[in-house]
Amino acid sequence: MDALLIIFLTGLISLFLGMMKKPAYALGLNLLGLSVAFILLWNHASYVSILKSYAGSLVYNGPQIYLSLMAILFTGLVLIGGYAMQSKDKSHYSDITSLMMFSLTGGLCLIGFKDFFMFFIGLEILSIPVYVLVGSRKSEHLASEAALKYFFTGSFATAILLFGIALVFGATGSFNLNEIGFAVMSGLYTPALMIAGVLLIIASLLFKVGAVPFHFWNADVYEGSSKGVMAYMSTVVKIAGFIALYKLIKTTFGNLSDQWMYFMYAVIIASLFIGYLSGLKQTSLKRLMAFSGISNTGIALLSIMNGTQSGERSLVIFLLGYGASSLILLFISQVVSEEDDQISSLEGIGYKNPLLGFSLLVALLSLSGIPPFTGFFGKFLLIKDIIQLHPVLGIAAILSSVIGAYIYLRLILLIFSKRTPAEKMSLDWKLALVLITSLVLLFAGWMLIL
Amino acid sequence: MELVLIPLLLGVLSFFIPSKWVKNTSILFALISLSLVLVRLGSFDPKYIEYVFHTGKVFKLGLTFEMAYDGIGIVMLSLSNLVIFLVALANYNKTEANSPLFAGLMFIMQFGLNGLFAAQDAVLFYVFWEFTLIPVFLMLYWFGAKENQQNLLKFFLYTLFGSLFMLLSILAIGVYSTSYAYEAIQYTAIPAKYACWIFTGFLIAFAVKIPLFPFHTWQPNTYSTAPMAGTMLLSAIMLKMALFGMIKWMIGLNQSALTFWQWPVIILGVIGILYGAFIAMREINIRKVFAFASISHLGLIAAGIMVFSIDSIQGSIIQMINHSLIAIGLFLAAGIIEDRMGTTNLREMGGIAKIAPQFGFWFGVILFISLSVPMTAGFIGEFLLIKAIFDFNVWMGILSALTLVIGAVYMIRAYQMSSMGAPTMATFSDLKWNEVSVFALITILAVTLGLYPDFIFSIVKPSIKHMLEAGADTQLIIK
Repeated sequence: MDALLIIFLTGLISLFLGMMKKPAYALGLNLLGLSVAFILLWNHASYVSILKSYAGSLVYNGPQIYLSLMAILFTGLVLIGGYAMQSKDKSHYSDITSLMMFSLTGGLCLIGFKDFFMFFIGLEILSIPVYVLVGSRKSEHLASEAALKYFFTGSFATAILLFGIALVFGATGSFNLNEIGFAVMSGLYTPALMIAGVLLIIASLLFKVGAVPFHFWNADVYEGSSKGVMAYMSTVVKIAGFIALYKLIKTTFGNLSDQWMYFMYAVIIASLFIGYLSGLKQTSLKRLMAFSGISNTGIALLSIMNGTQSGERSLVIFLLGYGASSLILLFISQVVSEEDDQISSLEGIGYKNPLLGFSLLVALLSLSGIPPFTGFFGKFLLIKDIIQLHPVLGIAAILSSVIGAYIYLRLILLIFSKRTPAEKMSLDWKLALVLITSLVLLFAGWMLIL
Repeated sequence: MELVLIPLLLGVLSFFIPSKWVKNTSILFALISLSLVLVRLGSFDPKYIEYVFHTGKVFKLGLTFEMAYDGIGIVMLSLSNLVIFLVALANYNKTEANSPLFAGLMFIMQFGLNGLFAAQDAVLFYVFWEFTLIPVFLMLYWFGAKENQQNLLKFFLYTLFGSLFMLLSILAIGVYSTSYAYEAIQYTAIPAKYACWIFTGFLIAFAVKIPLFPFHTWQPNTYSTAPMAGTMLLSAIMLKMALFGMIKWMIGLNQSALTFWQWPVIILGVIGILYGAFIAMREINIRKVFAFASISHLGLIAAGIMVFSIDSIQGSIIQMINHSLIAIGLFLAAGIIEDRMGTTNLREMGGIAKIAPQFGFWFGVILFISLSVPMTAGFIGEFLLIKAIFDFNVWMGILSALTLVIGAVYMIRAYQMSSMGAPTMATFSDLKWNEVSVFALITILAVTLGLYPDFIFSIVKPSIKHMLEAGADTQLIIK
């Protein structure tokens, strides 16, 4: 929990550091802050936190520690990978870094929350900086459009969420998750208020993670934002969103599953197929990533439906694989060209630099669920848990991943296409660092389950 | 462990070897791993299961990572290493042989194959099963024909689609079993109403890869656009993964769940035998002739395996070895013709044997081996398989025995159109040393196994017996 404080302070200092207009300093400071936070969180058991008195509202246990570590690690990688592009605007670079730090603070709150106060605060701290980050390319009209769209739809979802929370409070008389869970278990609630409230909360959270039918903002917002911000959104924001959804729906409202089960069935199956099917004809990489992200959302949502209590662990592995692959894809396409994000710009890039080609290959294979990469094990765990209770969902997930494999394989074919002459390309050490770390995650990340 | 890890190391090493040495090193590397497995074969005692990697622990989620081989496993391991060696040797003069990328992919594929044949854990089996697709896909894309994108996508997605059903089945087994270890699954009781569906998943994956008749459409096009070494690897060893899977992971686990599929698979196999043979008779692309011939041969093996008797499985194993040998031989011959004449069209060929007598001789020898003349391994294999199918059902036996006759028609037609008659070309440089030695090695092995098949039988028989007993014992809970 000290980690939370350190990340927030780092963001604050980096905001003031912006006056020096030295992007390198801001990057260094933020990385320092992140690594201190990482180490503190890693050793969380060995010292007593100064924020102990808040322990009631923020509690991190097993998988949530891993998720927080992952969020911190991914933020670091996003900062390093996006530096080359974002630091061009010297006077505003530290704004971007500090916004990411603030948003990460919210993300960590969302991973550890124990009551609805912390949940709501975390969600807002996570989202509001991202609205700004999406619009950070101020000269682009697409970016302004995306930011506005994201802000309006996002605040609408927040309003619905608040209404849902109010209804749940009305039904149970408590904001605390444990107490609500207890009320749900023992039937001490007003059913009509409760069910309406739960469905409103679920709907707004599904909006945050971008599941069908709340997915329309995804493609437009991704297209408008810069690739660094997009990488942040497809790693940290997803992690925080999914874990919040899991904790609320599975843990707290799990006993009400009769009420939301069929709704979630429809949402998951629709997400699995609509995402990939809309992705088939895309020519813009960002839009493709957005749509494939919708299908991956569908797979991650399987964790909510399973009958076991191991959903968080499966989410750790799955999101690790998905995040690492997204980082590789986005940052490599950023190196190729930041402005033009046509898929065709990736043509033949595998021959220009062996590390580039290899990481793209591994990332895409992992996304399509080919073993022995982390992406496969994530899907494997999620489907393994679901197969006994809901075989239909398992089969749907597997069928949709064939469509996904088609999309990703076509990308592989494009990346190694021989038509364009290959001039060699040298890599920035920062990008190489991001790629190698992501590769390690993709090759060895699944070992966390052992 | 060295059996599996050394090919991986050699593969990674191969990427960094300068291209002027790589064709020699790849033969050396293939020899190293071949000798490793032959040492294991020499000291193998058929009565026991030998562990390659053994922890004895069950990790979380029921994963075990055990690797072991029995009689069938060691034969398949030796076969896969032998095939890699023969392919490296056959490929020696091709342009691909100078590419470190190609050699690396080949050894990484060998890593996958060895792991697959040794896997003693269902998840590990699946991981290696899918993993072998990656190197072969890249090999086919980087070194194959220019316009093979569509074929490749079809090949990859088709096989992926099939194997995902196997993944579902493995996951479903995991619901009932304590771990994914082979022995654990073998003695797991699965409710009868699900058992059949669960093993159908395995069957779909294997049927696509073999390929059994209605699932074969990826095969001819992939074979004809792949680089020659890729085609050899695909037909000589990738398909054997599926047949091996049928023996070990279907029959060895649960025969009673498979009795429903016995008739359908045998009928599909027989249809495949006839269908492949009839198309091969009319086909004029020499590679496709051999591709359809391969469908025909493998249909027989698949049908034989589904009879579930010791004889039929023995026959299928020796026929698998034989088919690997002739597949390398035939596709090498096709590759030689293609390289030196620049065409795959049988109608444009003719009289090669007159200009290149050595090639004519060896091509003829391989042809006769593939016709299963007595004293070759194919004779033993086809005899046992057809006998087993006869025992199962006379009509199926008669239909499958037609393979001997029609096989002669298409093979001799291919030989006649390419090598007999008036020469259509001015020059045709004769065989090089490596090509002669591949042909000679294939001939020696096929004839040795034809004269002394007991060498293989003595190794595999105890394992087959054990497997059939264990598989038949599996209990079904009747709900």
